[in-house]
Formats: sequence, C-alpha cells, structure tokens
Amino acid sequence: MAFIWLIMLSTSLGLMIFTDPAAAVNSMITGAHGAVELSLNLLALYAFWLGFFSLIEKLGLSRGLEKLLRPVISRLFPSCDRETRKYITMNVSANLLGLGNAATPMAISAINRMDNGSKKASTDMIMLTVISATSLQILPTTVIGMRATAGSANPADFLFPSLVATVLSTVIGIIGVKLCAAVFDRKRNGTPDAHAERSPLFPTDRSKPRRKKRARRKGVAS
Amino acid sequence: MSAYIIPILFLIVLLLSFIRRKEPYGGFIDGARQAVDLTINVFPYLLAVMVAVEAFRVSGASAYLAQAVAPVLNTVGLPKELAELLLLRPVSGAGSLAILDGIYTDYGADSYIGRCASVIYGSSETIFYISTIYFSQSHVRKLRYAIPVALVATITGCIVGCYLLRFF
Repeated sequence: MAFIWLIMLSTSLGLMIFTDPAAAVNSMITGAHGAVELSLNLLALYAFWLGFFSLIEKLGLSRGLEKLLRPVISRLFPSCDRETRKYITMNVSANLLGLGNAATPMAISAINRMDNGSKKASTDMIMLTVISATSLQILPTTVIGMRATAGSANPADFLFPSLVATVLSTVIGIIGVKLCAAVFDRKRNGTPDAHAERSPLFPTDRSKPRRKKRARRKGVAS
Repeated sequence: MSAYIIPILFLIVLLLSFIRRKEPYGGFIDGARQAVDLTINVFPYLLAVMVAVEAFRVSGASAYLAQAVAPVLNTVGLPKELAELLLLRPVSGAGSLAILDGIYTDYGADSYIGRCASVIYGSSETIFYISTIYFSQSHVRKLRYAIPVALVATITGCIVGCYLLRFF
C-alpha cells in the first residue's frame, strides 16, 4: 500500500502542477476533512456492531460455530495436526462473523505452526490464505452501516447477491487451490505437502539447494 | 425479505442473552467501548489514503484511470465508475472504504452503482494485505498460486453478485 499511496499522490500532484496548482492543497485538505468525517461515522458503526457481536460472543455462539466447522476444516486441511486445526477453525469462525481483527492473529499462529523452514508456502497454508482472502463474512456489517448513514431506504437489500458472491468466490478459491495442488505437487499422497514441493518433479526448485532446512524444522512444526 | 434478517437476528440475540442472564446491556456497552480503539487505530491510515484519493480525483488522474479500465469492466458487465474501488479493494481496507464512501456520496447508496459497490466491498477482502500479514512471521516468502487463485475467485464472485443485483 505504501507504494501505491506514493504513486497516487505523486501522479496527482504532478498533474495538478500543470493544470491547477491552487487545487492541490485544497484537495488534500478536503481529503483530510473527509477522513475525519468518515471515521466519526465509522466509530458509530463499529460501536453498534461490536456491541452486538459482544452479545453473540457472550452467548457462546462462536464456540458453537467452531464445533460446526470442525469436520469441514479437517477435510480442507488434511495434513495439519490438531492444534493447528484449532487455530484455523478459530480463524474461519472469526472471519465468518466479520471479526477480521480477531481472525488475523489466529491465522498467523496457524501459519507459524505449519512453517517448516521452507521458503515456499505449503498447500495447506495457501488454502488458509485463499479461504480468508476470498472473504467469508456472512454479514457485511460495515457496508450495511455505511449505506444506512448514506440514507439508503433499505441498507441490507444487497445481502443476498453479496452472500452468493462471497460463497461462490470461496468455493472457486477452494477448488482452485485443490486443482493447483493436484497440478503442481503431484507426488504428494500421504506425506505432508511441504515435502512434495521439494520433490525433483518440481523444476523451479532444482536451482537452489534448500533441502537441509527441512529436517531441522519439521520437529517443531508437527 | 433481506430487511427482516438483521432485526430478527438482533431480537433473537437480545432475548437469548436476557434468558441466559448474560446482561445484554452491559455486554453491548463492553463491545461498543472497543470501537473507540479500533477507530483510533484506523484513523491515520484513513487520513493518509483519503488525502491521496481526493488529490487523485481532483487532478483528473482518476478519470484517466477509469477510462483506461472501462472497456474491461464493460465486457464483464460492471459499471465503469467502480474502477477505483475494484483496483484498491485487494490492497487496502481503509482506501477502499474511502472510495466506497465517495461512491455513496456521488451516486447514492440505492443506485445500481452504489449497490454494486456494496456487493463488491461486502463480498471481498484485502487479498494482498492478508497474504502479507498472514506470512509475516514465518519463513515463507513464496506464496505460489495463493494470490492469483484468490483474485480470480473474488472477481468471479463479484461479477456474478453484481449480475444477480439486477433481479433483487
């Protein structure tokens, strides 16, 4: 993001020096004002939804969700141990409830546990990333709140198409990972995938001798 | 139909917390308090991004960009006004939030463009940000096919979602 920000700002300033130098400072200050206004609106939305979610959490509904998810998680992440799966389950259920801030630390812990010193992501790591990155949120709370603030007649009326979109993208993501895994690490059966990535079948790996790291870290990971 | 979902959910949660003696009032307050920290954390990012976005828009660079991407968006059936949102969404949560806010102000939250933007924002994630942060403390440097797969899946979902919007 830092790079994109720099590009955006410098192109705009570069353009405005030629077209309308007076507008440069004005526009940036307008943006800053906009940020103050937007964050006040966000404060209202966050307070409302977090209040609501803390009730859900106190009821133990998120724990129920975890139980529900367990069988699915073990199918999607076949080569993880139980402790890792626990983190993954917590990550997925936090994402489902739209608590992205709570989901991230869980994912980092899960990835660290799967880490075996290899520089390449294993299939399970990619699966976790793709599942999170294709969005799982059932209730897009921020959007609903922002539409309400903007004066929408029915702020939740996009819910069904949005749900279809997010479920579809996650399903495509899962299928995509499984397909890529089948194509790229063919020699995987039975062994953790990290091994397959370093198999001789995988041509990009031949140039760099990285094998020695595997054994050392494996004990920690599993 | 969808107007009922949230009020009903809210009512169920409220009544359940009352029946199980979880003090719904105190719980709500506790949750709401966390929002202050969250907002303060997000604010500087939001400010930096919105300064850049506003300058980008006023300078006309944004219009050039939208023009360049318009033919691609037309072929997949998305409004060309969403170019900025689509480009920034995978990179920055605060940035795309600022754009979404701008879309609501410019075109209205209930316009087709506004609803399309809602679907896109609501059904997607900051793909690049997630991929960076998830692996930030591991040895992994090569994510292989993670980002392409996530991008293709998200774009397909958004296109289908926006298409469905015409019927709802």
